[in-house]
Amino acid sequence: MKIELTVNGVARILEVEPEERLLDVLRERLHLTGTKEGCGEGECGACTVIMDGKTVNSCMVLAAQADGHAVTTIEGLGNRGSLHPVQKAFLEEGAVQCGFCTPGMVLSAKALLDRSPHPGKEQIAVAMSGNLCRCTGYDKILRAVERAAGEVKE
Amino acid sequence: MYYVRPETVAEVLEAGEKPGMLYLAGGTDLILKLRRQEVQARGLVDLQAVAELRRIRVEGDRLEIGAMVSFADLLNNDQVATEARALWLACRSMGAPQIRNQATLGGNLANCSPAADSLPALLVLQAQVRLLSHSGETLVPLAELLERTPLWPSGTLLAGFRLPLTGGASGFAKLGRRQALAIARLSAAVALREENGRASGVRLAFGAAGKRAFLSADLAEKLNGLVLDGGFTEVACREARKVISRALGERASAPYKREAVAGVVREALASVEFMKSGEGA
Ligand SMILES: Cc1cc2nc3c(=O)[nH]c(=O)nc-3n(C[C@H](O)[C@H](O)[C@H](O)COP(=O)(O)OP(=O)(O)OC[C@H]3O[C@@H](n4cnc5c(N)ncnc54)[C@H](O)[C@@H]3O)c2cc1C
Ligand code: FES
Ligand code: FES
Repeated sequence: MKIELTVNGVARILEVEPEERLLDVLRERLHLTGTKEGCGEGECGACTVIMDGKTVNSCMVLAAQADGHAVTTIEGLGNRGSLHPVQKAFLEEGAVQCGFCTPGMVLSAKALLDRSPHPGKEQIAVAMSGNLCRCTGYDKILRAVERAAGEVKE
Repeated sequence: MYYVRPETVAEVLEAGEKPGMLYLAGGTDLILKLRRQEVQARGLVDLQAVAELRRIRVEGDRLEIGAMVSFADLLNNDQVATEARALWLACRSMGAPQIRNQATLGGNLANCSPAADSLPALLVLQAQVRLLSHSGETLVPLAELLERTPLWPSGTLLAGFRLPLTGGASGFAKLGRRQALAIARLSAAVALREENGRASGVRLAFGAAGKRAFLSADLAEKLNGLVLDGGFTEVACREARKVISRALGERASAPYKREAVAGVVREALASVEFMKSGEGA
């Protein structure tokens, strides 16, 4: 079947199978491999993308469901030359170890800050609760989001 | 498998009543089941484009919630936060933001897991369920619907929920996350009013205690009319223990849940707005 969606601001027309997940289409058809597959069951958040302003786990969304919607992946945020404030804060706080969880974490943080630029600690913790990290123990990640909130203010 | 996304209820029913078709709401239960081949479908009828299924609105003295309303939508709705507190608290306890953005209230009932978090809350709020099929619309009290297996004939569309606005207070608490072993999960919802210092209109419901969520008529009877002082919560906890004991019988989880239920009921009561002050709890 044919789907039309916007990925990182670019309109795409794709031929997909109805059982294909958004995650598969992003990684395999569009080669946007920043979106990771961890558990494949909605539990870990490694596959988080932003769809119409809201975070979703792309392993739990069919590509067909995304037809007509706008999707942002980690590739849509920044690059080595110009980092997004959230990415910058993650590096500065040392919130990245193996990096597997990082794209999902950054997107959850971005979605939060887009919606509420001055979140409290509790709000940050809730917003990040669907993203698991096996390396960092979360403190640095939460601090990075607080730091980014400061950055975004300016 | 094929995929369709109709825009009207009439088109939805026409597509959904064909053999082998399944309705697709958020997909947080269904997509995994399809991948694990626990269910088979010839095609999926995606409900996302039917605007009337996504609405939350007050109509006269009732709150109408469409089946495609997401848990995030419910959590962001002031009317739900005040008028349907138990449901709001149940939504808050659910999953992660990503899941709440996608998962729908209709999918929670239709999937009908023993631990579906919205069901005890909807039960104490006296929800009625709107069902649509080619033969028309029916309105069934949720408590009655939960006695049926299957819940409805295939092809039936769950259109939404109708909650009477009674002005009563309600609360909800749960133990154990979804990944926790089934034995470690339990939820309770409560609704009640205060009349001259006594409890009236008491309703208590449990989730993850048996095959499906249920309302306890016994508990309601025991608690109605009792003075709302410190002793009220103690009686509620003690009686809840008996209810859970009977509901679980010889199941392996019975000894644990019989003990755990007091804590869950205590917390559910403490989450009720007017019980918070401490005089009741
Ligand atoms: C990581 C994770 C965490 C979760 N946490 C919780 C939790 O804390 N508490 C909880 O209760 N659940 C939880 N769930 C389960 C799930 O998210 C919920 O049951 C959710 O409400 C299902 O809704 P959905 O819109 O995704 O349904 P879908 O997966 O789209 O559909 C589920 C079933 O209902 C049918 N259906 C859906 N809508 C209709 C309709 N309108 N009419 C007729 N049939 C319909 C579908 O055909 C399908 O069989 C979790 C799931 C995941 C993956
Ligand atoms: S891979 Fe999607 S949530 Fe883990
Ligand atoms: S940095 Fe390794 S999983 Fe988070």
